Amino acid sequence: MSERRTIDSPLAGSTLTGPSSLDYNPVAVMPDVRIVKIGGQSIMDRGRRALFPILDEIIEARRRGIQVVLLAGGGTRARHIYAIASELEMPTGIVATLGKYIPMQNARMLQMLLAKHGGLYILPDDFEKLPLYLQLGCVPVMSGMPPFGYWEKHEEGSRIPPHRTDAGVFLSCEFLGVRRAIFIKDEDGLYSDDPKKNPSATHIPRITARELVERNLDDLIIERVVVDYLPRARWCKELQIVNGLKPGQVLAALEGQDVGTIISA
Amino acid sequence: MWPVEAHELVLAPQSQTKAPQFGRLCCFFGGIFREQRMTKLVGGDGRTHIESRLMRESLQNRKVLSQTESERDLQIFPDVSLVSIGGQSIFDRGKDAILPLVAEIAEVKKRHKIVIGVGGGTRVRHTVSIAMDLGLPTGGIAQLVGAMEELNAILLNALLAPHGSMPMQRDHFWDLPLYFDAGITPIAISVPPFHFWEPPPLEGAVPMHGSDFGLFQLAEVLGMKQVIYVKDEDGLYDKDPKRHRDAKRYTKVRLEELVANPPAENILDEEMYRTWLEAKNLQRVVIVNGLKRGELTRALDGEDVGTVITKGAAR
Repeated sequence: MSERRTIDSPLAGSTLTGPSSLDYNPVAVMPDVRIVKIGGQSIMDRGRRALFPILDEIIEARRRGIQVVLLAGGGTRARHIYAIASELEMPTGIVATLGKYIPMQNARMLQMLLAKHGGLYILPDDFEKLPLYLQLGCVPVMSGMPPFGYWEKHEEGSRIPPHRTDAGVFLSCEFLGVRRAIFIKDEDGLYSDDPKKNPSATHIPRITARELVERNLDDLIIERVVVDYLPRARWCKELQIVNGLKPGQVLAALEGQDVGTIISA
Repeated sequence: MWPVEAHELVLAPQSQTKAPQFGRLCCFFGGIFREQRMTKLVGGDGRTHIESRLMRESLQNRKVLSQTESERDLQIFPDVSLVSIGGQSIFDRGKDAILPLVAEIAEVKKRHKIVIGVGGGTRVRHTVSIAMDLGLPTGGIAQLVGAMEELNAILLNALLAPHGSMPMQRDHFWDLPLYFDAGITPIAISVPPFHFWEPPPLEGAVPMHGSDFGLFQLAEVLGMKQVIYVKDEDGLYDKDPKRHRDAKRYTKVRLEELVANPPAENILDEEMYRTWLEAKNLQRVVIVNGLKRGELTRALDGEDVGTVITKGAAR
């Protein structure tokens, strides 16, 4: 029987799992880009009254030379399909695939609104074309849903895909070498409980991922996987949650100011 | 602060326990569709919701999430087996290892519904070595590696096509009934589409989601019968049998035992085991020696060959 014909390399023969002895000095791909999520339930489902002022601030930021990439969230239509799919006992990978479609609709809506200011709908694989789009002054818009789809793993105690559009924003930053992910929502940031349900919930201006995990909150403003990943991220070390309903907050965040809540690694 | 709801919206109170009040327009439609369950749009908090169990809820809330869960998942293709052919273990050995295995598959595919996937082998390791040295981000490495296993998939399909095979597009699973009716064996893409979005690994910078995981998850989400990993050893050993003469083979082992006492070196990606622990469908994974004629056939016939890993009855 023939032997395995291997190419000599430091990882030849390795199982490719776990740590390796290789030196690794990561390179940031596009560290100056701002990756911004437009919330689905929190912004898109509110319609133009909420969205238009936010888009005005994004256009202003772009005019000031700040490079912005928008990622869209899902919202109530995602919840509706998740509820029905759960009733039908669909595997998480199918639920995640269903979950791709609504953020895609929202991204297309954003593109139509931003078209005259350079709004450009891009697909997940188009990261490789971002340098051109951004140099041309465009505002690339894409779905925030990671492309895992049927390959999304089941997580104990839930049928809902653990990686949704918050995770997509974080993972995009991590790939592009961007330090801070920006999430535009309809709250001032993190609270001790859902402020829409519990009026005595208190605001948290700055917190570490570790502190957040230790609090073991039943609820969070951001997807749990993102908080889990943050401590071991190489590039994306901060998550900034800003209130898109308050004028000036989005522009301030795009200019790098500490507004809203900042969750750090 | 956010006034005026569109008049066709139903204005519901904040409380979920109270039934939403019907607006004038809905009463009108309600008259038409009296017998049907109406889909209601709900406003009142500045956002427009569609009524559903998850409406207005935070999808980070553990209590809300648990409402979506049940003990079982839909099983879509329970009579299909997934066959994963090793890259290093089979393809990197060339003709002597590949051709007899192709001949065996050409026979056994007449009797069993199978989907085949392949590993990338030594070229994947070379890619990762270079990419790590260059400092490419984990997501960038993940984006690169799929091309190397695809080369093996093209080779396999070229050899198997005269016996009926076709490369399957990424997630064209819904074509599978058609493939099987026509006697075509699909060759699936084995590296999962995590690409630029590969999550930060638990340790190091090498992507965690390789072809072992990708093919496992494909079989899991479709509720397949079993996954058979075709390697160049008689199964899974407590240590590397290539280096230790006293290595002991597991013949039949439960996943839970294996995870509690993992072997010194594992023939499959760790992420596959972690995923299986949380999975609901798959209950059987077999590792067979593809260098021994007939092992794969016996595994497909349901015999306990090589190493059979089972998962405690989840249902």
